[in-house]
Amino acid sequence: MTAAAAAAHITEPSDEPDIGKLGMWVFLASEVLFFGGLFVAYLYGRTHWPQGFAAASRHTDVVLGTANTAILLTSSAVVALAVACAQEEHQRRRTSRLLALTAALGLAFIAIKGVEWHAEWRDGLVPGPAFALAVPGAQQFFALYFVMTGLHAVHMIVGVATLGILARGRPRASRVEVAALYWHFVDLVWIFLYPLLYLVERHG
Amino acid sequence: MAELRRIAITWAALIALMLASLGSAYLKLGPWNLVGGLAIAAVKAALVAWWYMRLRDAGPLIRLVAGVGLGTWLILVVLSGVDYGTRAVTPAAVQRPQQLLPVQAASQPR
Repeated sequence: MTAAAAAAHITEPSDEPDIGKLGMWVFLASEVLFFGGLFVAYLYGRTHWPQGFAAASRHTDVVLGTANTAILLTSSAVVALAVACAQEEHQRRRTSRLLALTAALGLAFIAIKGVEWHAEWRDGLVPGPAFALAVPGAQQFFALYFVMTGLHAVHMIVGVATLGILARGRPRASRVEVAALYWHFVDLVWIFLYPLLYLVERHG
Repeated sequence: MAELRRIAITWAALIALMLASLGSAYLKLGPWNLVGGLAIAAVKAALVAWWYMRLRDAGPLIRLVAGVGLGTWLILVVLSGVDYGTRAVTPAAVQRPQQLLPVQAASQPR
């Protein structure tokens, strides 16, 4: 690397938009540990009560879970498009529309999740004295299920609100990029929740 | 537009991997169901981080922060595993005997 190239490389990350990006990455690193503790709790339960976790997982709605996974993966692609459009001044309206579409996909996800929660509540799958499954560990599974999907949904609501506010104004490229990072992270968490909550020994 | 193509290809790969994950859950693979599911999830997460979160274009500082998040978590997983992997389930003083019956039944060696 020539000296000029090296200098260009060093000055690049200190640009103003990168400060926001760096801040978001630091926040996301702390979020990894926030959700990470729950994933450890899950692995403990799954290794100690494998039958209970498998029996409980078969009571989750795999069709709605898969549909929601597809919605969230698609929303990530849409927000990535918004980031690409935000780089160009004349694409501003399109950027706004793509952000609004991402928020709408997020709302669809939350609505589907609500339908699932309602069905699970009706079927006695909420941990407590009236819990429907007798297999040991099944209740632990559903306790983790509701805490993890609940926390994830709270993150979704924050993301939908952020993208909605950005879509209404004249979105600046740097802000769109930072909001998109957050949205992708919420998608990342769900990518791991999907096999762990919905796909435990479906063949059984 | 090269960017558009990249986003579309990544999306198609993510959906294909999701379907692979779904399909693998219906095969009888024993512990490999979990390993396979997590491996596919890890590939999907890497695709999102690399292409959508632009770790590919990120400078060393951002890559370092991302790596520290993941690395710290992995260290905590291993340290927790040392405890959880080796201890028997010990009841807390506040737990009544009938409360513990299902847990004890499940932890009997088969």
